[in-house]
Amino acid sequence: MTPFELAEPRSLREAASLLVAGGEPARAIAGGTALMLMMKAGVFQPKRLVSLRGVEARYSEISATPDGSLHIGALATLTALAHAEAVKKAAPVITQTLKTLSNVRVRNVATVGGALAHGDPHMDLPPVLTALDARVNTVSPGGGRTLAVGELYTGYYETALADDELIAEVIVPPLASAAAQGGWRAVYKKITTRAADDWPTLGIAVALCREANQVKDARLVVSAATNTPVRLLAAENTLRGAVLDAATLARCGDAAMAEVELAGDAHGSSAYKRELLRVHVQRALREIMV
Amino acid sequence: MATSTAAVGRSIPRLEAHAKVTGRAEYVHNLRVPGMLIAKVFRATVAHGRIRTLDVSAARALPGVFAVYTGEDIRKLIAEPYYGPAFHDQPILAIGKVRYAGEPVAVVLAADAHVAENAAALITAEYDALPPVYDEVGAMTSRAVVHDTLKPAGTFADLKYLKDKRDTNIALDFHLRRGDVTKAFAAADHVFEHTFRTQQVLHLPLEPFACVAEPAGDKTSGSLTLHSSTQSPSFVRAEIARLLGWPDNKVRVKVPYLGGGFGAKVYVKAEALAAACAMLARRPVKYALTMEEQFYMITKHATTLRIKSGVTKDGKITARECEVWWNGGAYADIGPRVTQKSGFTAAGPYDIDNVHIDSYALYTNLPPAGALRGSGIPRLVWAYESHTDMIARELKIDPLAIRRKNLLREGRPQATGTPMRDAALDLVLERLAARMAWEKGFDRGSGAIKRGRGLAIGFKASISPTTSMAIVNISADGSCALYSSTVDMGQGSDTAMAQMVSEVTGIALEKITVVHPDTDVTPYDMATLGSRSTYHMGHAVKNAAEDARDKLLALARDVGLSAETTPIPDIFRKKYGMLAGNIVGVGSFIPPYTPPDANGQTENATPFWMIGATGAEVEVDTETGEFKVTRLVNLVDVGKSINPSIVETQISGATVMQLGFTLTEQMNFDAGQVTNASLADYKIPGIRDIPLMENEAVDANQRSGPFGAKGVGESGTFGVSPAIANAIDDAVGVRLTSLPLTAEAVFRGLCKKAGKPLKDH
Repeated sequence: MTPFELAEPRSLREAASLLVAGGEPARAIAGGTALMLMMKAGVFQPKRLVSLRGVEARYSEISATPDGSLHIGALATLTALAHAEAVKKAAPVITQTLKTLSNVRVRNVATVGGALAHGDPHMDLPPVLTALDARVNTVSPGGGRTLAVGELYTGYYETALADDELIAEVIVPPLASAAAQGGWRAVYKKITTRAADDWPTLGIAVALCREANQVKDARLVVSAATNTPVRLLAAENTLRGAVLDAATLARCGDAAMAEVELAGDAHGSSAYKRELLRVHVQRALREIMV
Repeated sequence: MATSTAAVGRSIPRLEAHAKVTGRAEYVHNLRVPGMLIAKVFRATVAHGRIRTLDVSAARALPGVFAVYTGEDIRKLIAEPYYGPAFHDQPILAIGKVRYAGEPVAVVLAADAHVAENAAALITAEYDALPPVYDEVGAMTSRAVVHDTLKPAGTFADLKYLKDKRDTNIALDFHLRRGDVTKAFAAADHVFEHTFRTQQVLHLPLEPFACVAEPAGDKTSGSLTLHSSTQSPSFVRAEIARLLGWPDNKVRVKVPYLGGGFGAKVYVKAEALAAACAMLARRPVKYALTMEEQFYMITKHATTLRIKSGVTKDGKITARECEVWWNGGAYADIGPRVTQKSGFTAAGPYDIDNVHIDSYALYTNLPPAGALRGSGIPRLVWAYESHTDMIARELKIDPLAIRRKNLLREGRPQATGTPMRDAALDLVLERLAARMAWEKGFDRGSGAIKRGRGLAIGFKASISPTTSMAIVNISADGSCALYSSTVDMGQGSDTAMAQMVSEVTGIALEKITVVHPDTDVTPYDMATLGSRSTYHMGHAVKNAAEDARDKLLALARDVGLSAETTPIPDIFRKKYGMLAGNIVGVGSFIPPYTPPDANGQTENATPFWMIGATGAEVEVDTETGEFKVTRLVNLVDVGKSINPSIVETQISGATVMQLGFTLTEQMNFDAGQVTNASLADYKIPGIRDIPLMENEAVDANQRSGPFGAKGVGESGTFGVSPAIANAIDDAVGVRLTSLPLTAEAVFRGLCKKAGKPLKDH
């Protein structure tokens, strides 16, 4: 690892402005769990790192607003997210996802913003937050903007964020305000095919809005075997307006399998991953129905 | 002397436990000495090629770099810088050509590790590609040859015939012939033949290889101290002395605790480069690998195993033919011994009149392969115990029944002709059957989940003949030190050996220290490997303790005291007028052995047999092929346990390690280059992968062993892989013949069985 300059700004906006100063490659570092591995491997050699640890405390907070939406500061650690009562109540799928997201040492320092901005398609939060229709607010030297998590990823390790743009917070819209009259429920299936603690072979996030017995709306997302999290639009269409019976599930699984290219790798061949997707999409839907 | 404390046979907590969990135990990885330089290696990027150019100028010019050395620089110090336990085939740095991707080609020394690393990244090399060979079976006849001539080290008599052999990749061919298999196959009711594969994996001790070399004086009158994370200090001393042309006593090897070894840290590993750098630089040099670099040091062979059996219609095996090809990688390391030593048990623990075994060690252009926990045995058991179940299934015989029918019983000759003695094969199998409730009903699952169970049993001969020496030193105050070159790498040998000293001398355990290996201080030991220490060093320690005890009794008699009732300090005080002097007891051990003849036959192949069996229960998801091992039952024969709780952790540790080699671990290659050289991409089992485990050492006795004991480090590995494969077959009728066992392989098997093979697009 080569020596580098470490900047420790006191505000997020200042941090954003430091990312482009001097024209040298600079990166923001929060938990550092991904970045440090890249630096140790020599894949990434920064001249400057901008630490986000000293920025305003409000960017580490997690809260729910009266309408039921969740506001998650980008610098909240994954452990904080895993233990937050507000999250457990408003979006239990997030709490559930964190149980098998990396390990406790990583979760203690890794942050929500880092997990989103890194752009590694094997990460668990991007597909989950995409299925939940979450959005991020960003900060840049001149202002900021709001974009959907689903719009954040443009390619393999590539995001829509500008060089001087930082994620400030994540907003998850209200889910199951009144499940009896319909509302959203979601599950995430992390499929590993080697050790239990591994990058997923497939990440499958499913969010479903039902009214009585009928599906009003659905969002299905697959990740890990694709360059970015991918919405399974054809599979979603098989669900809208349908009753969730065995025939619907089978149609949905077949549609999911047909509409997406999955890359083969050491976790499994493309053909096998398609079969896993077909089966586990259906199982995820069944889990929601319970 | 105090009365006996009956230390042997008790679950004494490990002596080093407190130091380890409080972070106070010493490891070479943490060692710094004044003036120390850090060595970082530049590695080959092609699997087989002549070095056309090697440019180290940019690295040398980097501020902070002390020196950059290549193979030619090493040659100025050591004219023939090749090392290895079986063959002198491995150069300290590549000379002229490289034989695997990842081979060390040049080394940078700098006081700052980051400078050394950056400088190494500035080195460039160009190669003229040579045709590579990767496959072990292909290597038998390949025109691509890894080494121009073979250079056996001369240490092993049975390798001498290979000297100067040209144009071959066969580093050893072992043959065993017993009876007449051709005739027996012709007469058999059924003949079965199957081929099995295992993948290349590696040891991955959590403390990677590390050595600090400290030179003193100059080359003619100097000496060298090596602090090394090694399992074989005595061998390292002799081999480094040989390279430098020095007598052994000019090289000192000191070994603290090891953060794991598993057979990786035997013979010379990091030491040769560290020693050469220190001698050239005249400065202390530390060569410590990263976790990722371990993938290029030493591995476990990939193998192909063909096995053919003649069987009567009621399941009696009458003949067996085995061919085993061991993919040894670019340098032989101890691979030829693995080929021979495990080769002769390739037919399994069965009473078979006609046996024909051919076992080949092969050079290929992959990272070198050596010995790993169990040596070759878990791979052989994988083949013969899968084969046993496949036969049983065809003949509709219960898997337990076919094993009962064919098992080698006490006193019967094994394939080498050596009679089985103190080998509790039958007891181990019966205890396993009882714990599995094999003959009772079994829940076969419901819905998409099908359940199955399997069992497997294997055995191993100990390495032989090898020597251990020990010294027991009783001080005047009644405290005691044991000097032994056995390396405690986590297996608990310090505790077990101290228990033996306590048992013999009656000195309380807390008054006994174990002096760690230091070749200037502790006497010779062959190495800590092959589960040999409890038996071999155990004998030496027992002999040394008895010698010390007898001398103490004689001393007491000399001064007119009763040694039985007088406290030790009083005996010394009476003899020397004050608390002075000491008693030094010495002990040594080498077991009897008869070398095998040209047909692999011998009356005495091994001092003892290790027995291990595993029963597995699995749940298979028939929609995806995903499966879960829900229970593992492990049975071993270790004779009498010196320390039952350490024995238990040795069984479970070995089982978990083999579970990784069975389910999750695999080195992947692209054109000879490892593509998953990190713990993120090469998956060892985590806590959530470990099933419910039950471990038991059966009630046995190794009559020739110290206190009835024998080795335990490897036995837990033997049965794991085939037991799981057998259980999967039992659950869903899919037979896997290649490791690792993956969900995808099960799924493809299910598809094929259903007549709809999975198509790749």
